[in-house]
Formats: sequence, C-alpha cells, structure tokens
Amino acid sequence: MSELLEYLKQAVMQGEEEQSAELVGKALEAGISPRAILEEAMMPAMEEIGEKFSRNEAFIPELIVAAAAMEKGMEVLKPALGGEEVVRGLVVLGTVHGDIHSIGKNLVRMCLEGSGFRVVDIGEDVPTERFVEAYREHRPDILGLSALLSSTMQRMPEVIEAVRAEDPSAVIMVGGAPVTQDFADRIGASGYAPNAFEAAVKARELLRMGG
Amino acid sequence: MTGRERMLTALRRGEPDRVPVWEMAFNEESIIKLGAFFTEDLPPVKSAQKMSMEEKVKLLNTLFTVARELELDGLTSITLLGTEAVDEEHVRDGWGRILRISEEGEATAVGGPVSEPSDLKAIKPYHPQQTDFLMLLASKGNLGEDYAQVLVQPGPFRESWSLLGSMEKLLYYYVKNPGFVKDLARLVTDYILEVVDMAADLGADVIALDGDLAFSQSTLMSPAQYEEFVFPFHREITEQAHRRGMLIIKHSDGNMWPILDGIVEAGFDGFHPVQPQCMDIGEVKARYGDRLCILGNIDCTYLLPFGSPEEVEETVKETIRVAAPGGGYVISSSNSIHPGCKPENYLALVRAARKYGTYPISVD
Repeated sequence: MSELLEYLKQAVMQGEEEQSAELVGKALEAGISPRAILEEAMMPAMEEIGEKFSRNEAFIPELIVAAAAMEKGMEVLKPALGGEEVVRGLVVLGTVHGDIHSIGKNLVRMCLEGSGFRVVDIGEDVPTERFVEAYREHRPDILGLSALLSSTMQRMPEVIEAVRAEDPSAVIMVGGAPVTQDFADRIGASGYAPNAFEAAVKARELLRMGG
Repeated sequence: MTGRERMLTALRRGEPDRVPVWEMAFNEESIIKLGAFFTEDLPPVKSAQKMSMEEKVKLLNTLFTVARELELDGLTSITLLGTEAVDEEHVRDGWGRILRISEEGEATAVGGPVSEPSDLKAIKPYHPQQTDFLMLLASKGNLGEDYAQVLVQPGPFRESWSLLGSMEKLLYYYVKNPGFVKDLARLVTDYILEVVDMAADLGADVIALDGDLAFSQSTLMSPAQYEEFVFPFHREITEQAHRRGMLIIKHSDGNMWPILDGIVEAGFDGFHPVQPQCMDIGEVKARYGDRLCILGNIDCTYLLPFGSPEEVEETVKETIRVAAPGGGYVISSSNSIHPGCKPENYLALVRAARKYGTYPISVD
C-alpha cells in the first residue's frame, strides 16, 4: 500500500499527469482512503517540489508540471473525497486593479491548491469593489492580493481597508515582485511571502494562528 | 562627445567623458508629466493604443523634447506592429496575438494563435515592415545623429510565450515537449533576425533584447533549460546584430545570477537593469565588468516613486561610485520610468548623473 503512495508521490513530483491519475485510481481500488492518498502522497509531493523550488533546486517549469499532475490526480480523487477536499481552507485570490499580470498569482494558486487549499481565482486587474464583493460572497479564510508593478501595488492598502470595513478580522495576504515584508507591515496586511511556495506555507501558518 | 559616442563607448566597456544617461522606456503618462516641465503642447493622458494618430505624434514629439531638454544620450524606440481593436481593452497584432492594454505599463499577450503543438504548422509567420519602425525613423529624423538609437525587441522567450498567450504554458512545455519549445523559438527567432536586420537598415545603433528571464528569487528556468531553449537563439541574434554593426544588450528584471555566464557567452555587450532588490551592482561590476557593460540599477520600485530628490541624488552618487569607474556603465532606472515614478525624481536622477558622472570619477 505505501509503495503505491510512494509511486504516486513520485509521479506528481515528476509531473506525470496520466500516471498520477492512474495511480490515484489504483490506490482507490486497493482500498486506500482518499484522505490518505491526498495527505500522504499528493500534498507531500507538492510540498517537496515547493521546498526544492525555494532552495533553487527546482524551477518554475518543474513546479508547473507537478501542479498539472496533481490536478489530473485530483480529478480522479475528488469524487471519492465527497467534498472533503477542503482540508486547509478557502482562499480568494486576485491581482489588483491596473495590473494585468497573472503568472505570480497563478503560481501561488498552484501552490495553495497543492497544499490542500481551495482557491477561488478572481483574475487580474480586479477593481477594489470586486474584491469586497468576492469576499462577501465566499467569506474566505484568506484573501490574497497580487501585484507585479510598484504603481499598482499602491492599490493594496485601498483593498485592505475596503475589505476590513466589511470584516475587521479579515485575513489578507499580499505578494508580488515589488512587495516586501516592510510594505506588507506598513499597509496592515496579515501576511506576506517572498515566493509562491512560501505563500502556501504562510497561509497554513496564518490559519493555525487562527487568523 | 555626442550622446551617441558616449553610449557606444560605454557599451564597449570604455570610458566616455561622462556617464551616459538613458532609459529603456518611459510610459505615456511619464512622458507627458516630464514634458510638462518644457512644453504646454501635450497629448491627453491615456495609453498609446487608445490615442488618435495626431495624439500619438504629439506624444512622440513630447518624448523628443524631453530627450533634448534633459540631454539624454540615447533614446529607445519600440516597434509598433499594426493592431486592430478587439474590444475596449484588447487589440490583435499581426501575429494574431491578443494583447491586453494597460494604463500602467506595456500591453501583454493574453491569447495567442498557438494553443498546442499541432497549431504550429498552420501559423503564418509575421514579417516586419518598415512602418513598424516609425518610432525609430521619427526619433532618428527628429534627434539626428547625436543620440544613440536603441531599438527594443522582445527576445525569443517572450515572443514564444506571447504566441501561446501565457508564460506558464511555455514553461509547461519546457518539460513536456522540448521539441515544440525549440520549434517555437525557431519561428520567433527567424522573425527577430528580420527585425534586427531591418533595424540596422534604418539606422539603429543598439538592440535591447527585452523579456524577463528571472524574478526576484531566481531565474524562471534552470540554467540547463536556459542553455537548451534560449541560449542558442540568443547567440544567433547577437551574432546578427554584430554582423550588422550594432551592439546588443539583454534586459531582464529579477535575479539573473544563475545565467549571467550564459548571457556573456551568448555575446551580449551589456546587461540591464541589475535590479537592486536582488542583485548587487558592485558585485556584478567586480565579476562581470570586464565582459559586460552594466546599465541601470536606480530603483524604480521604491526610490523613484516614493523617495525624495535628495535620496535619489544620494543613490545616484553611490551607484556611480561603485559602477562607473573604468567605464562600461550607463545610468538608468531599474526598469523604466513608469507612471508611479515622480517626475521630479527623474529630473534629480539626471542632474545627479551630471554632477557626479564626469570622468575620471571622483566620488568619495
């Protein structure tokens, strides 16, 4: 049984999409619990590739194919999980108004999903009011704001203020090329991470702290 | 020395009479704000794609006025591929790429004519036309021979991913279908070689090969992937530029340390912009100053948008102290003068460059 999970973990890490789906199927047939498949093979695979990425031992292509393999496996696993796939929490994620860049946000989404979060991606160039609406609609555990430009980064405090007016205890993470810990602190963000993998680590930490 | 001589001397790692001042790009709003110091005849603030022909001409003239008034040493032109409007926010270019217009920066491809490997056969390559180089022609005609004419052209990595409409897709295929990545790079490199050729015909002095290959932490691809998928095409492009008597620099934001050896080996004359958040210009100078001209490094993330003119002067002084001695340095912002940068801070940059940038450098 553990051998099958180990194969699955390797398949996800190496970005083998078909193998990942096939091995999830086999693991289910072998009677391994869906939760164990997720938590003992697939999430650890994403964690390991993410850690390698943080150490510059893996690069974005490897992260992307691993996320694709995870996604293929999840397609098979999801029905068996019966709605139990949200193990960590819900994140609403978007790039702030004026900023049309998507890759940073998309990598964060991949890492969050790989880490067991459900992510609602509300896209790029998102007006402040849309963040508030999405927050109201989904009541996420965490709201994530992304920006690539130092000019658009200035939208972040505005979004934080508007969302906190809706819910003063809203947990809001910020990230993107120009964002620093210092900036995040100054604008009252709940958390910041320097890369996509660290964002998933930080998100878990924030939830453990109870927001 | 003329600005052109100054730029070309520095790009050949020589010592001009003073540190050349140049920018890779000014956004529309920045051109207009800077222009307001010198003229009242300004176009309305909006993205160039949304301007009428008359407003575009006014925008260009404003840029030339700024270049003359500030005595910049070179000017950068972009190719202006004819586009047709798709809707309020999107245009389609000659390749069939859908670009999203942005008030905050350049338009970005969000959809391409290629979505999977089998589409490659059907694609009709776009060939550059002289009208794409109108900005270069106007710059040359307006500013004359005294300014270095730089043409910015996206490199094979950026052109490839924009045909796919997504950088993630290209990086996915790095692992999944290396042959396809190389076929795409071949296709766009043939186009880039034509652009380089035509730029030379029309009097460009320098090619700036655009397209980020890195982010703050590291390169987007591994050094081995750079070697396999990008390097051979870079080499072809630098060879072509040199054959045609031009110099060529590589622009990339982010931490480029992992592949800087490759950039040198590929034949680039310079590297821009040495983003100060992730690369130390003193270290780049010490390790690569004998092989690469260094351009940039004045922070446009925090300093130019939020700093004071005094802080800008201090940073320029320190950067010149570290990067300029011996030549081979061109001062510019760490990316571009975008709408967030205070115009008075850009003026402070130029003034400080003149104050401290005369050779021999004698900054304590």
